[in-house]
Amino acid sequence: MLSTVKGMIQTLSSTFRGLRGPVTKLYPENPTVVQNRFMGFPGLTWDKNVDEPFCTGCMVCIRNCPTQCMTATMKDNPKFADESSKRRKIVDEFEINLNRCILCGICVNVCNFDAIVMTHEHEESGISRDGSRMNLSGLLEIGGRYQTQTGWQPSSKD
Amino acid sequence: MMQDNSENQTIDMMLNMGPQHPSTHGVFRMELRIDGEKIIDVKPHIGYLHRGSEKLSEGEQYHQVVTLFDRMDYLANFNNELVYCMAVERLLDIEPSKRTEYIRVILCELNRIASHLLYVGTIGLDAGAMTPALFSFIGRDRIQTLFESISGARMMHNYFKIGGLKEEVPTDFVSMVKGIMPEIRQDIDQAEKLLTFNEIFLSRTKDIGVITADQAIDYGLTGPCLRGSGVNYDVRKSEPYSVYSDFEFDVPVGLDGDCWDRHWVRIKEMDESLKIVEQAINNLPDGDVESSLGRRLIRPSAGEVYVKAENPRGEIGVYIVSDGTDKPYRLKVRPPSFCNLSAIEPLLQDSWIADSVVILGSLDIVLGEVDR
Amino acid sequence: MIGRMLSYQLLCSDLDTGATVRFMSDYFQDAVSTLISLLTLFSFLAVMVLSLVWLERKALGRLQLRLGPTRTGPFGLLQPIADAVKLVLKEDIVPNDAERVIFWVAPIIVVISAFMLWVTIPFTPGIVVENLENMGLFYIGAVGVIGILGLVLAGWGSANKYGVIGGLRAAAQLISYEIPLIMVLISVAIVTQTFNLVDIVNLQSPVPFVLVLPLGFVLFFVAGLAEVGRTPFDIYFAESEIVGGPFVEYSGAHWAVFFLSEYINTFAIATLTVLLFLGGWSGPFLPSIVWLLIKIYAVILLIFWIRGTLPRLRIDQLMAFAWKVMVPLSFYLVVCCSVYVFYEMPWWALTVMSLFGLLAVGVIIYRYITAPARKVAEVRERLRSLQMTQEE
Ligand code: SF4
Ligand code: SF4
Repeated sequence: MLSTVKGMIQTLSSTFRGLRGPVTKLYPENPTVVQNRFMGFPGLTWDKNVDEPFCTGCMVCIRNCPTQCMTATMKDNPKFADESSKRRKIVDEFEINLNRCILCGICVNVCNFDAIVMTHEHEESGISRDGSRMNLSGLLEIGGRYQTQTGWQPSSKD
Repeated sequence: MMQDNSENQTIDMMLNMGPQHPSTHGVFRMELRIDGEKIIDVKPHIGYLHRGSEKLSEGEQYHQVVTLFDRMDYLANFNNELVYCMAVERLLDIEPSKRTEYIRVILCELNRIASHLLYVGTIGLDAGAMTPALFSFIGRDRIQTLFESISGARMMHNYFKIGGLKEEVPTDFVSMVKGIMPEIRQDIDQAEKLLTFNEIFLSRTKDIGVITADQAIDYGLTGPCLRGSGVNYDVRKSEPYSVYSDFEFDVPVGLDGDCWDRHWVRIKEMDESLKIVEQAINNLPDGDVESSLGRRLIRPSAGEVYVKAENPRGEIGVYIVSDGTDKPYRLKVRPPSFCNLSAIEPLLQDSWIADSVVILGSLDIVLGEVDR
Repeated sequence: MIGRMLSYQLLCSDLDTGATVRFMSDYFQDAVSTLISLLTLFSFLAVMVLSLVWLERKALGRLQLRLGPTRTGPFGLLQPIADAVKLVLKEDIVPNDAERVIFWVAPIIVVISAFMLWVTIPFTPGIVVENLENMGLFYIGAVGVIGILGLVLAGWGSANKYGVIGGLRAAAQLISYEIPLIMVLISVAIVTQTFNLVDIVNLQSPVPFVLVLPLGFVLFFVAGLAEVGRTPFDIYFAESEIVGGPFVEYSGAHWAVFFLSEYINTFAIATLTVLLFLGGWSGPFLPSIVWLLIKIYAVILLIFWIRGTLPRLRIDQLMAFAWKVMVPLSFYLVVCCSVYVFYEMPWWALTVMSLFGLLAVGVIIYRYITAPARKVAEVRERLRSLQMTQEE
């Protein structure tokens, strides 16, 4: 009996607490705050110095992806010929099937060129399955948004 | 099986509980044979969530398998990652740094609290109280937000690497963990106070689903289900792995082996986990968390290894056979939920329909791990 | 009510002359007026149900540190309407094996019985569809039981095992709790010497019956909770065990009808509690109907509060509680009331007797329900002594 009464009092007090500040928030009005390290969908980064993607299409991430959700092809970098870029090869086509991606971040860890990042993008729901196949321009777009949002800098390991 | 053969004969009825049932904790199916409200026989069916994790592991490189372990027991991701990483580390014969181990232990214990908090919510729902579930999610959310700021994901972290961690923890890690500790303690209190000593909850769980210590050992129960029956067995104590031998903590043990004792053991375990986190965070050593392997491809020499650890649900064991390539030749998991679930048949015998969900809830299974 | 007033004026001459002769047209007018008042009652109840739905969702939300409905209208006030529209527009699925006739009739029985109860419940002395002078309480006791039939039929007709179990649980539970409920009604009738609800309320003007019959109040409230299947007595549609019991196969408008009747019944139990024990519409300053509504909503909030706190009992515990605690106590109450009336004692004598019963019930419940708790305490004691011996 006593504990029941205690429970009743507890729910009552929580009601008053809830009236002052409920824990839940309305969603679109209060967008989800993600932490700095939040891993959303992967995106490709843009090298502003040379005005081209970091990605060389080296396929390391593709071989390491546990779900095999990416494909890429590379081509000769035209900017390498006129010496404006140090990259001999550059990505030609890049596709990630975001339906298959499990957001594990392995691709980011294995990439040697800082070309791929886990962006803060997480509201990618659509009405067609096709819509979640991201091509190079889409990936660069969400990657670029991530770059401007967080001021991302390539680590100086290369 | 018929109770009496007098003129008031009743016939049995088959009742299918699950796989789409709110209280079977996922997609578990029980074929109940009931006589009125009494269960006289039960046939469990599993496999609805079978994803072939063990077979899939054979096709993945060692560092990719971590993602599969994340998804096995999806309520205790860090604990699962830990046991797998430990297994491969032993296979490779390397030691992670002290700092790595400490951070791993902190995260695992926090994960244990998160998992037990979810348990408090679900046992409440099974018993018909909806409020504890929502209260317990407050604390769970706090812990998950912490995880997100450390590993980048709320559930599928992929944060433990073989031989180290993916990256160094954020600079304010210590203050963050210290900051949420009192809040978590409060949240635990708030969530369980509505249930643990509530008279109705007691009458629903005390002396229900009793399993004696001998029986529990025979069925291979581990974790809170075994300790609820009064057996003092905890891998963290009996065969300390990682750095658990550095910490001072008790192993709460029940007496009767009924639902309430299992519940009580879990509640007490959360306190012990907080104790461990407190000691670990206060003595966090400096150092490196990078794996000594660097980015090299992991290629253990041929051999086999069996490593066990204490998950929130019980003892998890990982058995890996390596043939010297970059992928495991065979990987077998001893999932605690599966072994705990095996006791459902004797537990449900002669209980009420209403008890069946409470008993199942008190075993605290995760179907992702049962079916793998 | 309006119709009734209208018909009074029309029949004025009749009443003046003693109304010995009434023509067919008078009967017709009577029927029309009754119809109008029934329609008014219906719409009033519909509004009340909508408000209850909103209140329940909001109150439970706040209890659980949530927001409750917010999207539809200011404070989510239009949520019940959105719910209703959604339910009505939904496809009405009838299972293949269902007994069609029974499946269709069951919700109608339930909702009609819920409405019939309201015919004689007064809101103020003037506002009542038909104040059955000599048999108000009797009628309520009689009509209240019909709903059970609907629930059993619903469970049976939907050809679902959960439904059958739920229906049988409903029959067992509702019939068991009907007995203490009716016994309390009888004891109130004994004390007031009338079946007329208006008179009962008027008799409470100095002392509300909650002071005279505290035991009766508690018994009535608890039995009422069980009658409308509210936590901790929501056994017959226990979501986590038998996934909705009799309602498991119902969808769309049919389910909406069950939903409606459930809330009407909740409202009825709260209203009856107020009328029988809390002094009905009497109260200072405010108009009587406002007082009545305030009291009703207070009782309803109490019901929601209990729902937000307690787990559910098990069916055998529930039945044991009914037959071992509620029924004997309600008989005790009837005996007390008879003694009180026979010896013409002062009213506080009844309070004392009733309180004594309440004490008894407290002790019984306490001992019954805390048996496990005591065991736990024992266990802890043993553990502590074990630890002490270990330390030594
Ligand atoms: S993202 Fe990195 S690893 Fe992947 S193809 Fe581009 S450069 Fe190579
Ligand atoms: S995050 Fe993981 S699954 Fe997704 S693309 Fe990268 S490696 Fe593949």
